[in-house]
Amino acid sequence: MVGLSEGEKHFIRGGISQDIRTDGRRRLQFRALSVETGVIPQANGSARVRLGATEIIASVKAELGKPSILHPDKGKISIFVDCSPTAEPTFEGRGSEELSTELSVALQRCLLGGKSGAGAAIDLSSLIVVEGKVCWDLYIDGLVVSSDGNLLDALAAAIKVALSDTGIPKVNVSLSAASDEEPEVDVSDEEFLQFDTSSVPVIVTLTKVGRRYIVDATSEEESQMSSAVSVSVNRNGQVCGLTKRGGAGLDPSVIFDMISVAKHVSEQFIAHLDSKISEAEAAAE
Amino acid sequence: MEFVDALTGFRVDGRRPNEVTPTFPFPTAPPRVTQSHSVLLLDFAQMRQLKGEVGVVARADGSALFEMGNTRVIAAVYGPREVQNKGQQVNSKEALVRCEYRMAEFSTGDRRRKPKGDRRSTEISLVIRQTMEASILTHLMPRSQIDIFVQVLQADGGTRSACINAATLALADAGIPMRDIVTSCSAGYLCSTPLLDLNYVEDSAGGPDVTVGILAKMDKVTLLQMDAKLPMDTFENVMELAIEGCKAIATYIRETRKINGLNMLKIASHKWITHRVKGLLVEDEWLCPVQWTGNS
Repeated sequence: MVGLSEGEKHFIRGGISQDIRTDGRRRLQFRALSVETGVIPQANGSARVRLGATEIIASVKAELGKPSILHPDKGKISIFVDCSPTAEPTFEGRGSEELSTELSVALQRCLLGGKSGAGAAIDLSSLIVVEGKVCWDLYIDGLVVSSDGNLLDALAAAIKVALSDTGIPKVNVSLSAASDEEPEVDVSDEEFLQFDTSSVPVIVTLTKVGRRYIVDATSEEESQMSSAVSVSVNRNGQVCGLTKRGGAGLDPSVIFDMISVAKHVSEQFIAHLDSKISEAEAAAE
Repeated sequence: MEFVDALTGFRVDGRRPNEVTPTFPFPTAPPRVTQSHSVLLLDFAQMRQLKGEVGVVARADGSALFEMGNTRVIAAVYGPREVQNKGQQVNSKEALVRCEYRMAEFSTGDRRRKPKGDRRSTEISLVIRQTMEASILTHLMPRSQIDIFVQVLQADGGTRSACINAATLALADAGIPMRDIVTSCSAGYLCSTPLLDLNYVEDSAGGPDVTVGILAKMDKVTLLQMDAKLPMDTFENVMELAIEGCKAIATYIRETRKINGLNMLKIASHKWITHRVKGLLVEDEWLCPVQWTGNS
């Protein structure tokens, strides 16, 4: 979609090396962020996040399911991403499949913490209703409505906001049934439990253009990147996941440098996102 | 299940099903208008609340969000631009109109993953394309392509109607020349009562669902679909009701367009079109290009 002339490319690269980008931002500055919660009433939690011209809608749905045999004491979370053709005409038909899968896998890596779920953003044992029998399955869906670069960071932010908006119905289990039978569950429509979302990480993608790297790249800037490193960092400054994209190789020392910059940037981003979340919650009430 | 309360005559969501005779004026009550930030909310007597907003997708040439009650869709228009796949171009003298309908994973009550391009989506894509094509002045944009993408965010009955209405607004936002505005609305027949703008509960009750699309100004029907059987004379009433609904939506879309300053004059400044348009405004300030001057 991005068609740039030689002059424009030169202008973008030159701006980045001089720490003033085409939209006037500095290299480590995010675009304006806007947050809205409860946009999908049918879901247990939902959010719309806009980062410049990038717009994401995330929804969280909870369904009662059966825990896996390997982890009888844990619930399940799955993340799916769909890129709507409204964002870009090339996403039409099956055109978005590759990108959607890439984004879903990257989010799973950063938020769910491997197959065991040990490093997960959400404590999976809090999703259990009856051990080995009933648990909550969380389905997290991200929809890219409008795309102007930095989809991964926006998706992770949207999921963080949607999770903080999520209320899981309280479940009453009747214990009278025999142990081998299916327990009867009564799902309350009035009482909801909130998650502890303080440990949900954010993702900061550092896009390398020329010899410098920038945060929150627009799609024009992304078209000029040599490689990008996405780092997911939680509130405590712990790195929860890493993804490197792009063809060009990176010097290991540059990677370490990028990680420490990402950690520093994420502190401000988390604080900014938190204040936006509380603003959105106050507006919803 | 009682879809129309025998005592009060209210519908499941509290709307009043009014009897409709051809002489019955619509809307029955004066519409309630709330206006804020160039978004207009309008309540008509029988219809769910309408909400339309343009320019919701920043990078698209034209876009709109349209809500009918809990049904919420986004439409984005890209074009007119060069034909991407030359093989699809049938007639080089007219613009190629394409459409894709997609439902978000979370749009329905129970969440299940459906394969892309299933039969229902393909059918609705086709219906929307044909309906919009009927109103776009395709001969003014030869050798070009217009893409309409509709994304359902929430489905609560009447998605194809909402998609057509959203597409109309998005096309107006993109400044694409059109003959007339196309609007669509559905109506059904339950508990011996014609009902306008069915929601999901009423839609899945098994009664007939008549979806009508009209060219509002010209008063022509461009889309008509019905499932289930219905006696001829009742069908007339139900279709009449749906048409009245379409007209109410047309009123709404005109108002939304007005407050957003959208009219077809925008085409003159459209980045893609370098021709000049000489046109005249019809009564409701909708421009009908009567003469097209340019060098190609």
